[in-house]
Amino acid sequence: MTRVPRGYIARRRRTKMRSFASNFRGAHLRLNRMIIQQVRRAFVSSHRDRGRQKRDFRRLWITRINAATRVYNVFDSYSKLIHNLYKKELILNRKMLAQVAVSNPNNLYTISNKIKTID
Amino acid sequence: MQKALAGLRRINLDGLRWRVFDAKGQVLGRLASQIAVVLQGKDKPTYAPHVENGDMCIVLNAKDISVAGRKMTDKIYYWHTGYIGHLKERRLKDQMEKDPTEVIRKAVLRMLPRNRLRDDRDRKLRIFSGNEHPFHDRPVEPFVMPPRQVREMRPRTRRALIRA
Repeated sequence: MTRVPRGYIARRRRTKMRSFASNFRGAHLRLNRMIIQQVRRAFVSSHRDRGRQKRDFRRLWITRINAATRVYNVFDSYSKLIHNLYKKELILNRKMLAQVAVSNPNNLYTISNKIKTID
Repeated sequence: MQKALAGLRRINLDGLRWRVFDAKGQVLGRLASQIAVVLQGKDKPTYAPHVENGDMCIVLNAKDISVAGRKMTDKIYYWHTGYIGHLKERRLKDQMEKDPTEVIRKAVLRMLPRNRLRDDRDRKLRIFSGNEHPFHDRPVEPFVMPPRQVREMRPRTRRALIRA
């Protein structure tokens, strides 16, 4: 049989992967077999954590809002604040509330007054 | 005293408050949970889980901590040394005689999340069995425990408390 070298197909596939591994550590960015494994793991983590990211940030916002309501004595707790927001149908989501709490605490008072006076 | 001042250089101290908890007459677990919240920095609106930003916590009067029920005689701390068959135990009463600060320290540490920040948070916690602390030159502020309804002690537990 004539000699049939395999050509450039595999090499092209592996070079494509290499670009994703350009900031990995040690052999993980140099050796092809390791690159394949680590890039696969990286993609899996990325996919799974995109869902987690939404959860994690909401948790962080809730913790911050809780702390802020207690510090500024707006309401006794996060739960009371959210309950009152829903009762008065103010659609502020937690991301905005957390940002307000961190950067502009005076606006928290504005929000709470609005909640207390609408009724 | 020297041990209380140790490790202060490792903590980045600017912007942190020094909160003083008085453990006299407080219930162990309830106090520990408040301390754990303050130590993690969860009472600040700028809380971030990957950054250690808790306040320094000083606990005074550790020997006057109280527990409900028969825990003084019946609560047992277990630990295993790693060698087979070596499960050690010690009762709360004995631990209080040996070192009362360890009781609060264990309670608080076991309420903190087990992650890489736990050691740093441990370093921020200073416990004293008496009423004095060597941090008078810092701006200390006392921590006011949240109000709590204390239920009247049942007769059997009251007898157990007296017996302990």
